[in-house]
Amino acid sequence: MPEQYAIEMRGITKTFGSVVANNNINLNLRQGEILALLGENGSGKTTLMNMLSGIYAPDAGQILVDGQPVTISSPEDSKRLGIGMVHQHFKLVDVFSAADNIWMGREKPGFALKRQRYDEIEQMSKKFGFDIDPKKKVRNMAVSEKQTLEIIKVLYYGAKVIILDEPTAVLTVQEIEKLFSVLRRMKEAGHSIIIITHKLNEVMDISDRVAILRKGEYITTVNTAETNEQELTEWMVGRKIDLNIDRPVVEKTRPLLEIRDLTIKNDEGATAIDKVSFYIRGGEILGVAGIAGCGQKELCEAIAGLRPVQSGLMIHKGDNIVGLPPKAILEKGISMSFIPEDRLGMGLAPSLSITDNMILKNYADARGLFVDRKSGRADALRVIEELEVVTPSTETPVRRLSGGNVQKVLLGREIKAGPNVIVTAYPVRGLDINSSYAIYDILNQQKKDGVGILFVGEDLDVMLALCDKIMVLCHGRVMGVVHAHKTSKEELGLMMTGALDLTDKHEDKPAGIARDTNITAEHLESAREEEN
Amino acid sequence: MSFHVVKREACPLWKKACFYLLAVLAALTLGGLLLLAMGVNPLAYYSRMFTMGMVGNKIAYKAFENYLKVFVPLALTSVALSLAFKMRFWNIGGEGQFIMGAIAAATVALKLGSSLPNAVTLILMCLAAMLAAGLYGVFVAALKVKFGTNETLMTLMLNYVALYILAFLGDRKADWNFFLQAESVRPVFQSFADVAAFPKIMLGKFGLNLCVLLTFAVGAVIFVYLKYTKQGYEISVVGDSAGTAHYAGMKVNTIVLRTVFLSACLIGLAAAFKVGTAGVLSTAITDDVGWTGIIVAWLSQLNTAVIFVVSALISMLHYGSVAAAASFSRVDSSFANMLQGVILFLVLTADFFIRFRIVRTQKGGKDNGNG
Amino acid sequence: MKKFLALVMAMAMTLSLVACGNAGSGSASGSGAETAELTVGAIYINSKNDTAGYTFAHHNGIVNGMKKLGLDPDKQLFIVDEVPEDKQQVLAAVDTLVGQGADIIFGISFGYIDAMEEAAGLYPEVIFSHGTGYKSNETNFNNYFGRAYQARYLAGIAAGLKSLETGNNNVGYVAAYTTAYAETASGINGFALGVQAANPDAKVYVKNLGNWADEVNEKAYAEELINTFGCGVISQHCDSAQPQIAAENAGVFGCGYNSDMTGDAPKAHLTAAIWNWDVYYATAMQAAMDCAGDASKFVETMGGPAYYGGLKEGFVDVSPLSANCAANTDKAIEAVKAMMVNGEWDVFTGVKLSIAADGTVTSADAALVDNAGNEIVAAGGPSVEDGVITGSMNYLVAGVEEV
Repeated sequence: MPEQYAIEMRGITKTFGSVVANNNINLNLRQGEILALLGENGSGKTTLMNMLSGIYAPDAGQILVDGQPVTISSPEDSKRLGIGMVHQHFKLVDVFSAADNIWMGREKPGFALKRQRYDEIEQMSKKFGFDIDPKKKVRNMAVSEKQTLEIIKVLYYGAKVIILDEPTAVLTVQEIEKLFSVLRRMKEAGHSIIIITHKLNEVMDISDRVAILRKGEYITTVNTAETNEQELTEWMVGRKIDLNIDRPVVEKTRPLLEIRDLTIKNDEGATAIDKVSFYIRGGEILGVAGIAGCGQKELCEAIAGLRPVQSGLMIHKGDNIVGLPPKAILEKGISMSFIPEDRLGMGLAPSLSITDNMILKNYADARGLFVDRKSGRADALRVIEELEVVTPSTETPVRRLSGGNVQKVLLGREIKAGPNVIVTAYPVRGLDINSSYAIYDILNQQKKDGVGILFVGEDLDVMLALCDKIMVLCHGRVMGVVHAHKTSKEELGLMMTGALDLTDKHEDKPAGIARDTNITAEHLESAREEEN
Repeated sequence: MSFHVVKREACPLWKKACFYLLAVLAALTLGGLLLLAMGVNPLAYYSRMFTMGMVGNKIAYKAFENYLKVFVPLALTSVALSLAFKMRFWNIGGEGQFIMGAIAAATVALKLGSSLPNAVTLILMCLAAMLAAGLYGVFVAALKVKFGTNETLMTLMLNYVALYILAFLGDRKADWNFFLQAESVRPVFQSFADVAAFPKIMLGKFGLNLCVLLTFAVGAVIFVYLKYTKQGYEISVVGDSAGTAHYAGMKVNTIVLRTVFLSACLIGLAAAFKVGTAGVLSTAITDDVGWTGIIVAWLSQLNTAVIFVVSALISMLHYGSVAAAASFSRVDSSFANMLQGVILFLVLTADFFIRFRIVRTQKGGKDNGNG
Repeated sequence: MKKFLALVMAMAMTLSLVACGNAGSGSASGSGAETAELTVGAIYINSKNDTAGYTFAHHNGIVNGMKKLGLDPDKQLFIVDEVPEDKQQVLAAVDTLVGQGADIIFGISFGYIDAMEEAAGLYPEVIFSHGTGYKSNETNFNNYFGRAYQARYLAGIAAGLKSLETGNNNVGYVAAYTTAYAETASGINGFALGVQAANPDAKVYVKNLGNWADEVNEKAYAEELINTFGCGVISQHCDSAQPQIAAENAGVFGCGYNSDMTGDAPKAHLTAAIWNWDVYYATAMQAAMDCAGDASKFVETMGGPAYYGGLKEGFVDVSPLSANCAANTDKAIEAVKAMMVNGEWDVFTGVKLSIAADGTVTSADAALVDNAGNEIVAAGGPSVEDGVITGSMNYLVAGVEEV
């Protein structure tokens, strides 16, 4: 008798337009195991799982739950079959308490909210060793708490199979450890777990088996104990790859950009960046680490002149640039390539051609009424050639390009302008390994040319390898600036959660003040008085 | 078996043409069945419709002049709307802006027409209409920029405000109301055709109104403006992503105000052309161009050159179906309107199939599990 | 798309053919018209397929008029309908009809007035006839309307006798407009004078709709007249039967308009002032045919630039009296109608009729006075019917109150 799987997916195919997201995928999940679903971004992991959770219906293929063929046409079907998914983007109501967020999806009869719901949920979370206050409102929760809540919610509805979509992306090292111990406990309790990730060390750490997808194709499933990171990478990428990131040693210049006591508010009016001071030298990459929403976005926007500054100074080559319009800051040589969540929102106009995106920042310099597309086209050709952008032509809308090529176009344009400071946020988000390395090379090349780079990143391994120094932010405050070759992930993780504050340590001079400023002490005094 | 909708990547031109042609044919077939049910020969009706009743017409040149009178305001309004739409500013207020422009143009004609040379009056009419319509439009843009109001609702509501202002002017006999004929007991709009009328270039009996040439000229200018100028470039960037425009150092608010003003100005110009040709106001002065223009702009995918082609076709449908209805006693204008509606609806359906396609969901994969 | 383009080209070719001259006639008439050979054009404000209302009444009139003269409406009648009161659109409709070879073009809505005048100048070979207007020329352009006030007077008699019978002197009138239009003012005045002839103590309360058609308010105003002003008979100048239905529901009586509304309000309706448009249309089309292709003789053939038919021509009338009418109503109406048909008396004169309960009619000199006390016609003075034709009547007679 063949083995009875918790989930079996046979020949699953799903297409979006002409894009085949999943092609004839076979996957099975044993009872009580942790299966890692490994693949690069865009390899179809989330799509495949969304078909289990009822968000998409497969174009072709069959799904079996406990050996029985089933049709999952809605999230309710999925819930009924005991499948629960924790999505990357949490699906919680901010103004509700933890208990109510769980409560509202239930199908039990009864109209009124009962007090006992708090007890019921507290008991549940105790059972699995969760630490959560059922009465706490979601909006007051940290990211890790929200994730815990999502997991409890799934368990509450009796899920036997739990799918977690990149659960570690938003967590610190310590929180990841905590999550993994919860997962192990759940496994012991008989749950079957699928964890989507593209981080190899986590795969090795937590999973029993690994299923690998590449570009929508199923590659293989192996026992974790019988493989290693190098082998997994080769399956994932399709060929051998060097996993080392270069960190060239470059002669550093004096600080190009110096931030002093900078305070910025976010869109809601709360303080996003609180009296932050740091500087960037030419020829170095300063990493900015922090949990999502700790003020990185606001900091980048303020430097680019897109967000008003409450107080503090931003000194570029001796001049205070606070209050200058974005265009003036641009002309001073500070370039920002901000890659927001949807990658195309800011920095590029998605429906416009590469040529048109090339001229975005300097179109106004052309003489007369008309835009100068001739030089834009020449720039586009140069960027396409130098950065090996894959595109049918210079007139292709950038939204038709793949993620890596979009990023190259964006960075290419920024570099072409010959900036002396580059502010770049999440430049490799969503990129495959090859594209990511291409982007690192571009940044390193700039560094060699004496450009100062502010690199807002999310993958600590990458930052440790690429950056010269790393500044850690926690709730808008600097927790310290450390040398990348002297620190560790654990140390960074502690700083990100605010558990470790290194600002008093002298060796890294986090609040060091540059000496080439022509802003005098009196200037500073008067600026401070104005504030008060 | 079930189906689902999938976005189409690209659609070759011939396929697009086929879809549109099919849509028109389907609409005509549907209309034909209805015509048959009414006891009218569809072929006879359609042949009259597509020739706009000009075959066997002893004054066909007049019919063509009238056709152009329908075409000019529609084409110009559609071009104007496409400007705002390109910026993702949903100006649904074409009707209201048109009316404001028409009132302003009529005011100039009635007040100054008798004392100024015709050419000067006409230029002043155009300027006044553009200013009035422009301000009426930019008012909404200003509210949007300042307070983040929804321009769709605002422009829509202001259509009715303008319409009721016009109706009031057309209904209220009073000493101050110079829009009405003083000598008529009933309220009737005062004509100014004798003091302010766009000249015609006579080609035999056919008089080519100057407005037609001006409309094509404006169309060409806007085509170049959108495609090659810095301001046109700014419009595309703002329309595509306001965040990106801001990031690139563009003054987004200024661009929004400027573009909406220009859009509304052109609608005002269309109104001046209309009023300067009709020589009189009326409560039906817009002939619904503010609405139809939206459809035209959409079908043309905001391409200025295509707008002229689509406007020509829709005007033909509009004028032709009425002209055809005249000769069939059982077919009234409502049928003509309905047929237009069916054709437009099916063309928009075709548009849907050009952008998307429907795929059948397959069941059952091969049993080649990996366990 | 290709088909469209092909047709655009066809259109252009047609145009170039036309430019060569329009000698090739073929279908159209216009030269040497024989009897029963006339192409009729009409411009309507609403749909020609309407089943009630203003356009319906005119369409019926034209079709019936054509049938009377042996013309075939299916072949000889061309209509552009749903044309708003927009000069350019009316002129375009005229162009279309002239292009179809129309010999005579009727425009039924008042707002067509300037366009009709201009068209008459543009196309001197075509006859233009404008309903409810007042403009005309001496050759090919006339206007037409009826003495509806005469029929209204007769309906007023029925209402007056009814109010006498019920002992309720309050009579209501739902009017599209009041003094803004001579058409509505003369209707109200004619009716009120008829009421007063039968019941000198009666008072007519008028509600002004401010609109030619507004079914909701037509009903609401009628109810207000019944409930607030205690009216026992409701007359109306509006398209729908709503006021009659309101009267029926309230158990009072009413006089309809435009068509016999007894079917709508069997227990309430007395009689309605109605139009027989075919009377005019047949007359005008006959005159057009008599012109024998010379449109400039039309006005002369019609005997003047304004046709203003009344009871005498049968252009207006009252619908058959219902069983709800008071005794002797038929007798009184017959007598007064005869006086107007003979031309011995008319409504807006210095002579007042009195109708006794037994239906006998007596006349006496009395001044026509408006409700502000101004004398319009001195006792024994002549008719001011011109005021109705040229549209200058802008007063309501004594005994009428606008509320």
